[in-house]
Amino acid sequence: MFVLKRLLFSICLTSAITSYSAPICAADRLTAPVFQEETALSGISSIYAGDWQYMVGGGVATLDCNGDGYPDLAFAGGEAKASLYINKSTRGGPLSFERAESGLELEHVTGIYPLDIDGDGITDLVVLRVGETVLMRGLSECRFERANEAWHFNGGNAWWTSFSATWEKGASWPTLALGAYIDPQSEANPWGSCTENRLFRPLGDQKGFNDPVALKPSYCALSMLFTDWNRSGVPALRVSNDREYYEGGQEQLWHIDPGEPPRLYSDAEGWKFLKIWGMGIASTTFPDDRYPSYFLTSMSDNKLQILQQPNKEVPPLPAYKDLAFDRGAVAYRPYTGDDLKPSTAWHAQFEDMNNDGLPDLFIAKGNVDRMPDFAQKDPNNLLLQQPGGTFKEVGDIAGVASVRNARGASLADFNLDGKIDLLVVNRRENVQLWQNVTPDAGNFIEVMLHQDGPNRDAIGAWLEVDNGDRIIRREITVGGGHASGQLGWRHFGVGAAQTVKIRTIWPDGSTDAWETVSSNAFYALNHGQAAKLWQTGSAP
Amino acid sequence: MTCFQKNINFGTNATLEKRIHALWQGWVTFLHDCISSRLPALCMIALVALSSGTASAATSDEILRKWYGLSLSLIRHTPTYSPPVASRALAYLGVTSYEAVASGSPQLQSLAGQLNGLKPLTARENGLDYDDVVVLETALATVIHDLFNNTGPSGQQAIQHLEDELKASTVTLGSTPESQARSTAYGRTIAAHIIAWSREDGGAVIDNMGFPLTYGLDKRPGHWVPTNPLARQQQVPLLPNWGKNRPFAMPEGASCPLPPPLDYSEDPGSAFYKDALETYQTGKSLTNEQKAIAFFWTDDAMASPTPAGHWSSILLQIAEHDHLPLEKHVDALARLGIAMADAFIGCWHEKYRYDLVRPITYIRKFIAPDWTPFLLTPPFPEYPSGHSTLSAAAATVLASVIGDPYSFTDHTRERDTAIPRSFDSFWSAAKEAEISRLYGGIHFRTAIERGFEQGRCIGAYALALKTTR
Repeated sequence: MFVLKRLLFSICLTSAITSYSAPICAADRLTAPVFQEETALSGISSIYAGDWQYMVGGGVATLDCNGDGYPDLAFAGGEAKASLYINKSTRGGPLSFERAESGLELEHVTGIYPLDIDGDGITDLVVLRVGETVLMRGLSECRFERANEAWHFNGGNAWWTSFSATWEKGASWPTLALGAYIDPQSEANPWGSCTENRLFRPLGDQKGFNDPVALKPSYCALSMLFTDWNRSGVPALRVSNDREYYEGGQEQLWHIDPGEPPRLYSDAEGWKFLKIWGMGIASTTFPDDRYPSYFLTSMSDNKLQILQQPNKEVPPLPAYKDLAFDRGAVAYRPYTGDDLKPSTAWHAQFEDMNNDGLPDLFIAKGNVDRMPDFAQKDPNNLLLQQPGGTFKEVGDIAGVASVRNARGASLADFNLDGKIDLLVVNRRENVQLWQNVTPDAGNFIEVMLHQDGPNRDAIGAWLEVDNGDRIIRREITVGGGHASGQLGWRHFGVGAAQTVKIRTIWPDGSTDAWETVSSNAFYALNHGQAAKLWQTGSAP
Repeated sequence: MTCFQKNINFGTNATLEKRIHALWQGWVTFLHDCISSRLPALCMIALVALSSGTASAATSDEILRKWYGLSLSLIRHTPTYSPPVASRALAYLGVTSYEAVASGSPQLQSLAGQLNGLKPLTARENGLDYDDVVVLETALATVIHDLFNNTGPSGQQAIQHLEDELKASTVTLGSTPESQARSTAYGRTIAAHIIAWSREDGGAVIDNMGFPLTYGLDKRPGHWVPTNPLARQQQVPLLPNWGKNRPFAMPEGASCPLPPPLDYSEDPGSAFYKDALETYQTGKSLTNEQKAIAFFWTDDAMASPTPAGHWSSILLQIAEHDHLPLEKHVDALARLGIAMADAFIGCWHEKYRYDLVRPITYIRKFIAPDWTPFLLTPPFPEYPSGHSTLSAAAATVLASVIGDPYSFTDHTRERDTAIPRSFDSFWSAAKEAEISRLYGGIHFRTAIERGFEQGRCIGAYALALKTTR
């Protein structure tokens, strides 16, 4: 026994020397989630293929396309065709998917985001491509059809790489933001050739969109997110840009005020100049905060931005502290193996992987393409949030430290067992799917928001869950990540709580009363109604 | 022989007069052959195309401009290319350009035997025809492939794209196929020689972007401490052994030594404190003009072509504007590259000899805890100022080779929203680059002034090289 303890200590110490992120040691292992890779048996086979124009992108959309409550998957294929997989898993059973012809089989797809654009209760898809972005209207039973013409949507001709959507006050259709990358024709001199990002606003009372407005200057946007950063009720548009290709650029935050042209936040308003190889945006709200924080992926150092608010009596300025190192949210170089060169991070997402009530951070990693100064074997990170808002690396212990060339990802409960599973899209290799088999995970609840009329999925709402220890807040967004988006169940780990209080702040600002519900259950939350318990076999 | 086989020969002689003569002779021969050939119509089409300029071949000046232009972009977009590494690459590009041209020039002599470790290059074969443009294009392309072999996929694609473009344009109006092949092979021979030479200088391999994986910081007061807590790599200083690299023209890194910096002191009455106070007070009340100067000369890694690229850009602008003769152009490129690379070696030698604390560390500790300099503080010791050393070395070369005084406007940072700046001499530009580091709050006055003197000393070695026969 003594020998074993010494061995564990030695492993812990070695890890501490080779990695700046706080290692998780033997004594912490009870809190670490456990994943089991199920790719081979899952039925999914999808490779993000292609050369230069597919060095970025590689997204996956997570949606329920047949109304059975189980999350289905739509994959970007790059030079290969996009594909749709229907979830055939059973509650708590093995992860199982089946490919289906869906109308989505387009080429040159870089990313896919789900959104009920036309408010018919069926999820549509925004398909980003090298070429034209295509809006695919959802039909019943996981079928989709092109809707650009029907919805007056000009998908342009660019290297589209990022997307986000919001419903502006009073609008019956969403406002879409589309981010572009390098001019595909400028292979000889790609630097400084970023093409324009675009904002599509709805067409008055008719279905569809006005001609787009350019979001200029544009700096090769690899991630966009409409987010109510200051809790004003009016989301702004965050854009994370790749400094590799812009000249004179920086990260951006746009005012998107109803009826007003888009306008950049300025230095005078408190916006701080920042240049990174921006590749992905993840947002979370820490338990001691009511404002969202953002994790920005990049090459080498990433950013964990937490709002500076020196005076809580006045509205905050859009100025952020980077607390990545202070909080241990570091992923700047591999923490396993002997490749110690700097890392390249893409999709990032906060989800509670062990149901302890604290959202954890997953980061998909992978070399851009044969860049010898960056790690070739770059393990994905799983940073476990600790009380106090610090993080510990557990990717290797949890079993998700794959060194394949990752891009997009989806963190979702695929078999509806209350634990978040993991899917990662890899470049030039098959995707990987892990089932969360953590034996001692905490309790959970999962909720799905509904409201009548437009914005059926209540994009822009805030969900709050009080588990007795803390209030866990979550903004409902579509966008961010890296070319990957999700719609469906919103998962909350609640620790040991058998019951929790929940409430929704709806996009129109109305706030439900706190309602007590039992843990370890799924609930449909309809605007103005009591939480409705969901059982498999019915539409949520 | 058809008119296409006997094309206009831009000549084996690199002098301008001989090239003009060769051009004229080529035209005469071309016209004669066309008239007497069995394919007069085809020849006329070619003639019309040539007259209208649509099929013009690349000239040596275009080759230089395009490869240097791409190299400055690659420096900006290749993560290992910190300022010292960039200066090294530009020195090898300069020597490659020079040797390729000198090999066919009666005016120029090789730098072999003058530059440290550079052995004599293989000469052209007597009596055989070479295409100077092809020799230069091949040599530069080969060396650039090697220097930037670690750049990303877009950079690799851009290199290949330019090589294909230039090869195609030199083929159009180049010399005979035999001469083309011979010239291509010879260009590769020059490149192989330069590449082999470059491998041994101590700067060929850059791991972890130049930040050592282990490094013991000197914890005593006055020594450098990391200045950017948010950049994990930068908790150790950049390239601590760069000063030990083999220089190009100066004998060794210690050839232009500096006296120690001011005695470190925390006493408000000390000279050191007063130096720091000046940096603090200047930074606190910067005028718009001072901010513009600081921004114009920022030249940060990954956001610009770095200081060495900035000065190379100045020379390239002048070469294009003034139509510098080819021999003078490559002479200037070689001397400038050598002087700047040696400047960083000499500067780094002194930086790690004295290991001085940066203003941001000292000022925040002893003068103003919340002070933030206008520029980002780079991750290595303060004394002397690298930009000051390099700029003085560059001015030493350019003032001598191009002229002094010499008026010019520098557009280097235009695409980064910096307004072009005009100067009446290279020295005035260098002095502005020097003071920009004080305005930027990243140096004390002692470091910029002594750095400048060190640059003069180092530049003199490049100037002493003998290039003409």
